[in-house]
Amino acid sequence: MAITSVKNLKEFSTANERFEGAHLLCPGCAHSMIVRELMNATDDNLVIATNTGCLEVSTAVYPYTSWDTSWIHIGFENAATAASGAEAMYKARKRKGTLKDPDAPVKFVAFGGDGSTYDIGFQWLSGAVERGHDFTYICLDNENYANTGGQRSSATPVGAHTSTAQAGRVSYGKKQKKKDMVAIMAAHGAPYVAQLAPNKWKSMAKGFQKALETEGPCFINTVSACTTEWKFDPKDTIHITDLATDSLMFPIYEIINGRELNILYRPKNVIPVEEYLAAQGRYKHLFKPENRHVIEQIQKDVDEFWEYLQRREEAKV
Amino acid sequence: MKGVLATDKRGVRELGAEDLVGWDEVTQGVVLNSFDLEVENPALVPPEERPYSDFNSYTATVASWRVIKPVYNRDICIDCQNCWVWCPDTSIISRDKQMLGIDYDHCKGCGVCVEVCPTNPKSLLMFAEAEDPDAALSQWPEKKKKEKK
Repeated sequence: MAITSVKNLKEFSTANERFEGAHLLCPGCAHSMIVRELMNATDDNLVIATNTGCLEVSTAVYPYTSWDTSWIHIGFENAATAASGAEAMYKARKRKGTLKDPDAPVKFVAFGGDGSTYDIGFQWLSGAVERGHDFTYICLDNENYANTGGQRSSATPVGAHTSTAQAGRVSYGKKQKKKDMVAIMAAHGAPYVAQLAPNKWKSMAKGFQKALETEGPCFINTVSACTTEWKFDPKDTIHITDLATDSLMFPIYEIINGRELNILYRPKNVIPVEEYLAAQGRYKHLFKPENRHVIEQIQKDVDEFWEYLQRREEAKV
Repeated sequence: MKGVLATDKRGVRELGAEDLVGWDEVTQGVVLNSFDLEVENPALVPPEERPYSDFNSYTATVASWRVIKPVYNRDICIDCQNCWVWCPDTSIISRDKQMLGIDYDHCKGCGVCVEVCPTNPKSLLMFAEAEDPDAALSQWPEKKKKEKK
């Protein structure tokens, strides 16, 4: 497999872009940073399937496409199914000898938002991973249904204001905890599962390359800061992602073969989650005196989870 | 349909009225070719040499989204490529490890490139869309001295 060198940014920047501009994602959207990084990380031909979501509606607005690779969209839930079907067909045609260029390396990738990964497409993703197709599923996790007006999803964290879990006099926003999708996918026995963030471009590019190289179904959860629904200035996308990784709201780690856990980024100075929450409009209400206990609870949960990750890494189980 | 996305900057094809159908008449399943000719592997062909089709959003522009624009100062740039890796709109043009400039047809003016620029003073700064690039360069700030603690 031909991979682009990610030794340093200068070498990485020699990659030929295959994701074109003039898509209609919001200015400062992290989705396109992540997609560009995946497509630049390899020279292989890519077959990409995308679930309905911001990425899909913005990059394939008739009569335009922003994709310089094979790309398909079917429904909200079935990018994993479409990618696994394409992969099965590719294998069958390879076996029968009906491929035009059987030696050309091809990688199969599926993109989904958190709504289509955590909720709507969950069963389909689970099925595709269980069948063991050789593909990589990338979840662009912006913690809500941003495409349809910011409804809550099971990826929305505690305390966030969304249009269907509103903060007000009687509620402090979403009350339920975020689903641990990475652990669920690791429990499927997928050979490579990771959580990555675009501000740490190197670990992200390496993670993508590892997933593409690994035979079998791989799952990557990526943090995609949403300027519109998280309510921050478009220029701050990377800054907010920095806060997310440094406050350990989004720890960066990988799980190999469902067992071996490696932490890929340890912040030198761990910042309190309060700083991360304060930077976004969707947590504004938590800073009222009656809601302070929610922030304390979030901090406690984050600390406990980080402790758990470190224990698992040490114990190698 | 004229100007679906675009201004006239990069020769967007205007789809004639005879090509168009209403939203309820569109056949289910549409294939849009990114290129007019067959390209074996686009990852090996630099963008300048690709036979982009009129369906490729590369031929469209979102320049009208901008109210502020980044201006690039070659003299200060150290080619670190931070702006390239984090540009969400594929609008930083880098070739052979060198930053060449900004693609104003695709830039939406989000300002991420300015935020991630590490030089002192920054080699990318946001100016009003109407500002003349030369005038912008002439108002570039001086190097900020580090405050002694």
